[in-house]
Amino acid sequence: MRMNETEKELVEMVLSGRSEAFEPLVTPYRQPLLAIAYRLTRDLEEAKEVAQEALLRAYKYLGRYDTSRSFRNWLFQIAANEARDRLRRRKREANAAEEAGRESARSQDSDSGRRSREFRSDLENCLSVLSPREREVFVLRDLEDLDIKETAGALGISSISVRVHLSSARRKIRDVIVAKYPHLQEGS
Amino acid sequence: MTCAKVKKSLPLLAGNDLPARKAWRLVAHIDGCPLCRKELDEYRAALGQVKAAAREEGVEDWSDPEWKGLLARITAEKAEKRRPVPGFRPRWAMASGLATVILLAALTLVFRNSIFRPEGTAPAPGPEVVSVTMVSQETGLQVVWFLNKNFEWKGDKK
Repeated sequence: MRMNETEKELVEMVLSGRSEAFEPLVTPYRQPLLAIAYRLTRDLEEAKEVAQEALLRAYKYLGRYDTSRSFRNWLFQIAANEARDRLRRRKREANAAEEAGRESARSQDSDSGRRSREFRSDLENCLSVLSPREREVFVLRDLEDLDIKETAGALGISSISVRVHLSSARRKIRDVIVAKYPHLQEGS
Repeated sequence: MTCAKVKKSLPLLAGNDLPARKAWRLVAHIDGCPLCRKELDEYRAALGQVKAAAREEGVEDWSDPEWKGLLARITAEKAEKRRPVPGFRPRWAMASGLATVILLAALTLVFRNSIFRPEGTAPAPGPEVVSVTMVSQETGLQVVWFLNKNFEWKGDKK
């Protein structure tokens, strides 16, 4: 998906100092951007922060944007990178907390943590078995319906890499569903 | 095509992500192989379930005031100026140009005789004797060595 002429004009307008053109430029991606951020982080508040950061960076660094690329893919790529960074940070913090005191972490778990975990959806259980890259590929291709090429463009990786990760992600998800939710398989 | 080979490609076949020719070859095998057929059905069902769960779950959208406020905050920031076309860097262009000129000049000097010499003429003879002068900074003593064109020592002078 290449950039259309209207988007090109809007980018030019923003770059020439007319910041009001930014709104029509990003509004078509308002919901998909938040959806991707949410599917990657599994937390609405964090997803909003990710989407907000992606929009802020897109505005700030619009001058670096290569207009021969799709604006949507560029925006999604920024969001995916931001989500990946946050997940990495979150994991590091969780590891540090675990090391600092397993007991204290367990007691916190019994309050808010456990409660939220209890309400984690089946979808979250399926996605949690994926590596960060597999999750990104799966979310973009299978949940947001981008094609292989668009997914590769949005993640800044090759189509071959997308196929490899997608294949592995689908295999893991099928294994989880067959093992944990046999009733879903029967019902399909 | 063996079952092992087919099974490797089943996840991509389940989501219609294979080129038509390869998909056709796989389907030809699957039609006659109940085990592979079962596995393909499992992949398709799993994908269908996850997609349905995602649709059902939905994702909340921004509220309008939230969205407007966010854009107002963002556009209040200063955007970076446009960068030059990727790949074009004036400094690099100048440096490459200069390097090319120097290279050409050096090549011209090296091959001057063979390029500009009229056909049939012999190359100009080089000097028969070369001298190397060394001067001591402390004593002011000068030593001059004389060498022939093969750098064989021919004598010195102090």
